[in-house]
Amino acid sequence: MKHDKIERNIGLMLVLILLAISIGGLVEIVPLFFIKDTVEVVKTADGKEMVRPYTPLEQRGRDIYIREGCYLCHSQMVRPFRDEALRYGHYSLAAESKYDHPFQWGSKRTGPDLARVGGKYSNDWHVKHLKDPRKVVEGSVMPNYPWLMDPLDTSDIAARMKALRTVGVPYSSGEEEYQRNVQTFGEEVAKTLRIEDAEANLKEQAQTGNYDGNKADVTEMDAMVAYLQVLGTMVDFKQFDDDYFATFR
Amino acid sequence: MATTNVVTGGQYNYDIVRKFTIMTLVWGVVGMLVGVYIASELAYPFLNLDLPYITFGRLRPVHTGAVIFGFGGSALFATSYYIVQRTCQTRLFAGGLASFTFWGWQLIIVLAALGHVLGLSQGREYAEMAWPVDILIAVVWVSYAVVYIGTVMKRKEPHIYVANWFYLAFILATALLHIFNNLAVPFSATGSYSLFSGAQDAMTQWWYGHNAVGFFLTAAFLGMMYYFVPKQAGRPIYSYRLSIIHFWALIFLYMWAGTHHLHWTAIPDWTSTLAATFSIMLLLPSWGGMINGIMTLSGAWDKLRTDPIIRFMIVSLSFYGMSTFEGPMMSLKDVNALSHYTDWTVGHVHSGALGWVAMISFGALYHLIPRLWNTKIFSEKLINVHFWLATIGILLYIVPMWISGIMQGLMWRAFDDFGNLQYGFIETVIEMHPYYVFRALGGTVFLLGMVVMCYNMAVTIRSGNTRAVA
Amino acid sequence: MEWLMWFTHFENTKPLALVIFFTVFCAVLFYVFGSDRRSQRLESYKDIPFLDEHQDAKGK
Repeated sequence: MKHDKIERNIGLMLVLILLAISIGGLVEIVPLFFIKDTVEVVKTADGKEMVRPYTPLEQRGRDIYIREGCYLCHSQMVRPFRDEALRYGHYSLAAESKYDHPFQWGSKRTGPDLARVGGKYSNDWHVKHLKDPRKVVEGSVMPNYPWLMDPLDTSDIAARMKALRTVGVPYSSGEEEYQRNVQTFGEEVAKTLRIEDAEANLKEQAQTGNYDGNKADVTEMDAMVAYLQVLGTMVDFKQFDDDYFATFR
Repeated sequence: MATTNVVTGGQYNYDIVRKFTIMTLVWGVVGMLVGVYIASELAYPFLNLDLPYITFGRLRPVHTGAVIFGFGGSALFATSYYIVQRTCQTRLFAGGLASFTFWGWQLIIVLAALGHVLGLSQGREYAEMAWPVDILIAVVWVSYAVVYIGTVMKRKEPHIYVANWFYLAFILATALLHIFNNLAVPFSATGSYSLFSGAQDAMTQWWYGHNAVGFFLTAAFLGMMYYFVPKQAGRPIYSYRLSIIHFWALIFLYMWAGTHHLHWTAIPDWTSTLAATFSIMLLLPSWGGMINGIMTLSGAWDKLRTDPIIRFMIVSLSFYGMSTFEGPMMSLKDVNALSHYTDWTVGHVHSGALGWVAMISFGALYHLIPRLWNTKIFSEKLINVHFWLATIGILLYIVPMWISGIMQGLMWRAFDDFGNLQYGFIETVIEMHPYYVFRALGGTVFLLGMVVMCYNMAVTIRSGNTRAVA
Repeated sequence: MEWLMWFTHFENTKPLALVIFFTVFCAVLFYVFGSDRRSQRLESYKDIPFLDEHQDAKGK
């Protein structure tokens, strides 16, 4: 080996650096894209997928969750510990965030974990809490979010769903894809995944769900609460025993 | 200006270095000010003022963007352009392109901050910038690589000095990380959804997040250290051979360790064990580098008393050693079970960011500025004042974060005699209050030091000139 | 891409990582400390930051 080659030849040096820094990344990340067992299979007794893509309204709520930077103080990842099981519920599965672009597992719990917040509080509680957290939880350090009562921009929901479809979320465009969704998720869910009906579905869910306590208009609060209420509720853990999930880790 | 002079062999492009140096100071103040504000919001939530633009969630990426990419990034551009010219003994390659990296980079920081305030975010920590900004970053970064590698290629000195290796690794790795972590499909002019989802997205993001720390905030600043510590001490680095081992071991090991940010989450167990193993191994090159830097002073320890700039550098190396010990410890799965999601992590990041990154940058800038403007430092005394403000500020920051982090971790997992949880979540939040106050105070003291530096340097710069070219 | 599966088994990845790490480390160690002449040459490079100083003087 010519001893002074590396420090004299910048080309060789760049290649060696690239090699050194690529190995680690490749070995760690690449396999995840190829092994199916990283993501758990969670199906109902009649073979339908339990974890479904978000409805248009929930997805818009998720967008607002990201816009406001909620992930900087709230995690969405329950770890397999006894205290977390008591505080939050069953530990999070990879399957539960498989339609999350981007993932929102978070890295800090200035506030509590939200992975299983769905169904724990009433819609009314969430609205009050988001508008003025200290009215409901004394000592909270969360900001007030009164502007969530502003009307929701529903015009670009189809564009958003199309982009998500491109990255692999099974929102359906056309009859063929719709039928496939009926097979996978059942008819009721499949209907909410149709890009053609996106805006209509969104408004309908906001009005019938009445998340913000005001039926007349569709607000950002509707979307936000709809999203929070679905978090962690898709998998029915009663149908599985814990050994089943452990096989995927 | 220097750039318009006739180019001769000994002439360097200092104009670009000066620009980045000034912006380092500016972004330092801005970024730390925002940091102090959001720290205060956590202590006193009324400071959110019910304004969407200044809530914690929107300002936090402004803070991280301004300090990492504004302050840290500008410091790295300035020092790398300076070092590469002086150790290669040649003028910077493609002056126009270098100028573009300056204006492009500043535009990026401003656009990113404006975007975050208005609620544009990709929802990925330290990579929140909207997709058009990401593209601009990629363009500027490629230009940077061209300028840097071009300069190295036309060097007069046959050997490439080790500081440049670290900068090269930093440039390459950052390009790689930035591009892969920001792959996304746009749905509008400002919004996009990431290409990956769930567990894969998490792996990609923390591969990025960890190595942004590893290459942007560590490797590159080590390059800074390998030039400015010997220069300021007036003696060569302790061991050049150790620096070679330090380099290859560090850049090889860092990339493996990212998954330690995802312990106990829904990823396969082997990835997290692998990451923990490599994190422990990282301790060796990190400490090798620290020893190399500190031992450069061996035989001249009296400089620690007489030269406040050396003191900045040596204390920064000590913090580097401390946080590269703390890091591997926190990557152990059992420690991580306690420390993760708490303020301990925040404290750890800041002992690295304030103690290592900022302190070594301050040392380098104090060395650099009088040479760039052909003058003497206005006040050595004020450097000393800055040093003590910075050190006390850091301690006031990290000690409360250790206490609050460990305390919160323990409270979360405390059970009463009946096997129920002992504390509701909100009780742990209320318990944090005094520590959040102290943390904000520590940040304020550190910021004050930064302001003292700006004043000192502003007077220094005004007394100097840019005509003579060294 | 089937061969990538091999990497997904931890019992493969662990020794692989060890072998890669160890050989590279030994190579670097040998390179750096293997010969006295090379050592001397490498150590001479630490003066590079100081070579430009006579130019400073010229510039002024």
